Amino acid sequence: MKRGNVISPIALFGIWELVGRLELVDPLFLPAPTAILAEAWSLARSGELFIHIGVSLYRVGMGYGMGALVGVSLGILMGWSKRLEEYLDPLIEMIRPISPLALLPLMILWFGMGDGSKVIIIFKASLFPVLLNTIAGVKGVDIKLIQAAQTLGANPGQVFRRVVLPASLPTILTGLRISTALAMLAIVGVEMLAAESGLGYLLVEAEHVFDTPKMFVGLLVLGALGYLWDRLARVAQNRILVWHKETTLEGKI
Amino acid sequence: MPLIDARNVSKVFGDGQGENTTALDDFNLVVVEKEFVSIIGPSGCGKSTFLLLLAGLELVTSGDLLLDGQPVNGPDPGHAIVFQEYLLFPWRTVWKNIEFGPEVRGAPKNKRAEVVSKYIKLVGLEGVEGRYPHELSGGMKQRVAIARALANEPKVILMDEPFGSLDALTRENMQVELLRIWQENRCTVIFVTHSIEEAVFLSDRLVVMGTHPGRVKKIFPIPFPRPRKREIISSADFVALAAGVKGLILEEEK
Repeated sequence: MKRGNVISPIALFGIWELVGRLELVDPLFLPAPTAILAEAWSLARSGELFIHIGVSLYRVGMGYGMGALVGVSLGILMGWSKRLEEYLDPLIEMIRPISPLALLPLMILWFGMGDGSKVIIIFKASLFPVLLNTIAGVKGVDIKLIQAAQTLGANPGQVFRRVVLPASLPTILTGLRISTALAMLAIVGVEMLAAESGLGYLLVEAEHVFDTPKMFVGLLVLGALGYLWDRLARVAQNRILVWHKETTLEGKI
Repeated sequence: MPLIDARNVSKVFGDGQGENTTALDDFNLVVVEKEFVSIIGPSGCGKSTFLLLLAGLELVTSGDLLLDGQPVNGPDPGHAIVFQEYLLFPWRTVWKNIEFGPEVRGAPKNKRAEVVSKYIKLVGLEGVEGRYPHELSGGMKQRVAIARALANEPKVILMDEPFGSLDALTRENMQVELLRIWQENRCTVIFVTHSIEEAVFLSDRLVVMGTHPGRVKKIFPIPFPRPRKREIISSADFVALAAGVKGLILEEEK
């Protein structure tokens, strides 16, 4: 890790701690980092924190997994078939701008207060970046590369698996990465509005009893989870796309 | 029997709005097995179109285009094409790129390895089998593309300005290499180029094409004995022949 990566957080927490200790601001509004850590420790010891994390990750995982699966497969079909794209495009452009949270009342009506309604909303939030990137990726494959494969004897199935898929993979993976962040955004909203568990619920619950350190714990965990998830996605992307990284601007930085 | 027999071949491209362009008109050419034929002509004379037709990537509008007695009706590993832009698969190593043809045609693994190492050796790529295309120079990329086409052991190899994006020295070097490879491998080559010197140096026969519409203008036999050395390009016969070709092309461009 570069030195620049740690300097800014350390400085921030140092000043923050000072402000908290000297009570320059009412601790009800801004508790010191050490107080937040103490709260995190007790939440972790009681197991409460992990239950909330587990529940949230389960919902995100299910919804995101479905979104990724449907987005990639449908995107491949739509990128491959101009006809299918023309049929489905108006529908997609109508559903896409609807905020995932706007679907919540209807989803609760349909699927109840359980995990089902939440998973569907995460699904909706994750689907479109994956779908649109996959379509763009497949459509962007160099036709001459396909011709080269054809003249070497590849049949349509082989052209698809051995040329179209690998050539569109960089764009597809970008879509998958964008969706991870959107899924995390959506889960918090959903859990704040309608849940009895999860990290979003933890935040609302803390607000109700003016437990400010607990709110900060919730925020910190959300930040950490998002960061970890993105790092993981990046590592996976770089592993899969050795050839791509080094042929693009990314490899030069 | 001729290997390639093009009789009254025409190719008309429509733009879908009623505007048609005649790329080739009444094109006739017969090529025998193991012959090295170059095609040269001003831009827009349809020389690349003829290669695409031979590769099966475009179909004739009228006339007959026979390869080994059979009409060409689609891409086929028996007539491989090498493009100016190499068009290697960037996610595959040198080895895997060359292996592509035998792989999709279902050759068993040990046979594949045998073929790939044979052509890696033939084109002089030993030691870089594990590299990716972006790690190679232009000349090396074109060697990979040639080996990839040869790995299918095609009857005819079609080359569309294959050395067009190489620097002058690499280009000369690759011409000599191509002759060596062709001499060892003895397949038929149809070679499209912009360079008169290159065409005269490489070919058994040189087809000069004219424009509007694209057609054969004249076919020059190239009499120099083989194997040829690079030095022949400064001989009086070579210079005279090249000047004749140049005059014909200039006349066409007027």
